[in-house]
Amino acid sequence: MEGNVELLNRLEEARRKRLLEIWEVFKSNRVALIALAIVTVTVALSIAGPHIAPRDPYDFDLSRARKPPSPEYPLGLDEMGRDILSRLIVGARYTVGISVFSVVLGASVGSLLGLISGYKGGLWDAVIQRVNDILLAFPTILLAIALVAFIGQGVHSLVVAIAISSMPIYVRLVRASVLQVVVEDYVVAAKLLGLSSWRVMLKHVLPNAISPAIVQATYHMGLAILIASALGFLGLGVPPPTPEWGAMIGSGRTYLFSSPHIVLFPGLAIAITIISFNILGDTLRDALDPRSRALLRRF
Amino acid sequence: MSRLLEVENLKVYYYLPQGVVKAVDDVSFTLDKGEILGVAGESGSGKSTLALALAGLIRPPGRIVSGRILFNGLDLTKLSEGEWRKIRGKRISLIFQDPNTYLNPVYATGFQVAEVYEAHRGGRIARYMDLVKDLFRKVKIADPERRVYSYPHQMSGGMKQRVLISMAIAEKPDLIIADEPTSALDVTIQAEIIELLRNIIKETGSTLIIISHDLALLLEIANRIMIMYAGKVVEVGNADEIARDPLHPYTRMLLETLRYERKKRLRAIPGSIPSLINPPSGCRFHPRCPARLPHCDRIEPKPLWEKGRVVACHLYGG
Amino acid sequence: MSLLSYLFFRGLQSLLTFIGAILIVFVIVRVLPGDPARLIAGPEALEEDVERIRVQLGLNKPLYEQFIDYISSVARGDLGRSIKYGTPVLNEIIARLPYTLALALVAETIAVAIAIPLGVVAAIRPRSVLSSIVSVLAVLGSSFPIFWTGLILIFIFAVKLRVLPSSGAESPQHLILPAVTLAFFLTGNLARITRAAVMEALASNHVVTAIAKGLSPGKVLTRHVLRNALIPILTIINIQLGSLLGGAIITETVFAWPGIGSLLVDSLFYRDYPLAQGIIMFIVGAFILLNLVTDILYALVDPRVREILWRVT
Repeated sequence: MEGNVELLNRLEEARRKRLLEIWEVFKSNRVALIALAIVTVTVALSIAGPHIAPRDPYDFDLSRARKPPSPEYPLGLDEMGRDILSRLIVGARYTVGISVFSVVLGASVGSLLGLISGYKGGLWDAVIQRVNDILLAFPTILLAIALVAFIGQGVHSLVVAIAISSMPIYVRLVRASVLQVVVEDYVVAAKLLGLSSWRVMLKHVLPNAISPAIVQATYHMGLAILIASALGFLGLGVPPPTPEWGAMIGSGRTYLFSSPHIVLFPGLAIAITIISFNILGDTLRDALDPRSRALLRRF
Repeated sequence: MSRLLEVENLKVYYYLPQGVVKAVDDVSFTLDKGEILGVAGESGSGKSTLALALAGLIRPPGRIVSGRILFNGLDLTKLSEGEWRKIRGKRISLIFQDPNTYLNPVYATGFQVAEVYEAHRGGRIARYMDLVKDLFRKVKIADPERRVYSYPHQMSGGMKQRVLISMAIAEKPDLIIADEPTSALDVTIQAEIIELLRNIIKETGSTLIIISHDLALLLEIANRIMIMYAGKVVEVGNADEIARDPLHPYTRMLLETLRYERKKRLRAIPGSIPSLINPPSGCRFHPRCPARLPHCDRIEPKPLWEKGRVVACHLYGG
Repeated sequence: MSLLSYLFFRGLQSLLTFIGAILIVFVIVRVLPGDPARLIAGPEALEEDVERIRVQLGLNKPLYEQFIDYISSVARGDLGRSIKYGTPVLNEIIARLPYTLALALVAETIAVAIAIPLGVVAAIRPRSVLSSIVSVLAVLGSSFPIFWTGLILIFIFAVKLRVLPSSGAESPQHLILPAVTLAFFLTGNLARITRAAVMEALASNHVVTAIAKGLSPGKVLTRHVLRNALIPILTIINIQLGSLLGGAIITETVFAWPGIGSLLVDSLFYRDYPLAQGIIMFIVGAFILLNLVTDILYALVDPRVREILWRVT
């Protein structure tokens, strides 16, 4: 009995050490740090955007429409005379904020379902897996388009669309991971200690099964931003004049010839943000994967 | 007794960003035809690298730095890749340790064995399938007619290991090198495989080098045993004699762990395997040696003859 | 199990999944906050007109009956009737399908033709310039929003250089920019996965066995490296199918390419729900079919797969 408890305690310690190790990997890689900085800035903008923006992103004035970048308006003005810089700053919460939130939501629900599916097995597993397979039968963007189109415009539909279309991958990923973890000694130990199913699932299985999901989630953020901005570009999703970055490109596209800056800057913002999230995902994966650190083979 | 293999002062190093790994550091030994030589040592002793070197499989960042390997008079260290291809599988063959990863999962096992014939005789694989069936019979795989068409995932571990063995004996090579042939198998299967190897060697008259961390296993099958530690040879000699009267302290401790195992008590050798990038100075075993002399940490012992054996230890001069 | 029985069971599974997908689309569409009949009839319509449309569309029947009706009509090939065009949905789809197929096929071909050789060479020479190109391409390709790349390409080639047309589909040249845009999205990731797959295959133990047998390097490469690397590559192509279809939808919108993708987006704007629903159904069905095909290919290459019906990852 004591042995089991000690085993679990030692594993907790090992886990904490791992987290520190991961941070070390980050600190040593300059590109990763830049990516981390960019991601933090965009997420911060999502929260504090309206307070930081120099001008009102909705204030339009057709007399100054489409003016190129100048000292007064660093990124220029869009087709309705609105300050692009301010719109980008405020728009962060729609393009990035919503995506991050929705992916976290979808990943959490999906992981939970995957956990239940893998741990409980039986009928739970069968039903969850079948429904999941059906969801996976949709190309992600198509599912998002269908959901947004039929739920209607607005932030809520965007969130639902991205969350639901992200979910299935986590169900599968976490389930596969859980199936491996469940047979390991510390889980058997926990079960033998008489802990309730939920306690075992949440405290012992989940933390160890979750790392592929976390890596996937960081990659997924990039994909979610792509989807959110694509929906905005197509005119689905948030209603105009919301400064969602994709929507900015969508409405500015008619003036591509005369005023390319309207399309250029939002696109750059999207690209840089997505690249940063992807680099973050790569670094996280390298840090979490013991195989890539073990260059020395057996001699 | 004709000499089949002469290894002289072989050094195989790996050049890694962390440093230079001296996996095999000045190893010399000889091998006569028909012998069974057991190479013993813990992981990290350099024995697997030795096996790879004998088959010309050392690839960057590894390199044969110096030394000679004379195989029937031919210096293997000087061979080109094209020349090696004629030797591998035909005159020198290997048996690997993990049949699960050393067989390709997408091809039938019989096909993979037939590849040996295809490589050295040319022509289409299909025409060698009968030969492969005979081989499967020889290594005691049940129902060989069907099994040649089975995939690895349809076979048990023991069966797959027999497949690897059949691959190694296909062209009746002069030298077979078995690198931990039983480590991935259950204990009961291990005995069968060793028995199989012994019989096959007797039949074909090949020479066998068998590498293992399991000294007990080697004592069963080998005529001579060579003990390696941290890239160096510490003792070489007749198996029975070594078992009765181990000279090197490391050998002695290895045998002790066996004895304790048989008495159902576990006892490990204190200390840990040294790093091959920064090995201990002087005699590599000195940090863990109970019989350490004052100069053991400064001067490397040279191998010498003692009681009909080669030993590298200051206790006997060195 | 044998290839044939695998084919049968997988096919059955696909069919069941398709029916499930129809159910989901059905649920999504019917969960509309709003009355489709009223929306179709328009704000000025009389009550009896709305009722007439409702009966016409079968919206007054209980839900499960509506579902059964829909499934049986899909089975017959009847996907409903477009409100805007008045013609059967299937006809509209078939009319524009060749354009989407052309776009998808050309884009995928370009992507595969560039990405796979690039990935293989980058794997064999891991520290070369080529390998870095693969990494950069992968990052750029998957981070740039497709619609933005499309617009940039339009700006460079259609607006500034004036060498290529930017919209419509009158000539083969019209296909170039849309195909390149879509291919750019796919290539980077595909090259990166190819490189990883080949590198992993090269490091496999069974490659050592192959060399130890005395096989020629050519045979080692083709038989023991490439064929094994094919497994994860097929997986990624399978996964990319979704991106291909989704990306095609967006690309068609950017370039006004008359395929079913732009038809879908238009139909959503015109609130032509039967048309939208029909196109979604069609695309999902095509996707399921394509997944089935790649799974069969998978089973052909890797015999271990033939035992597993439920994919674990």
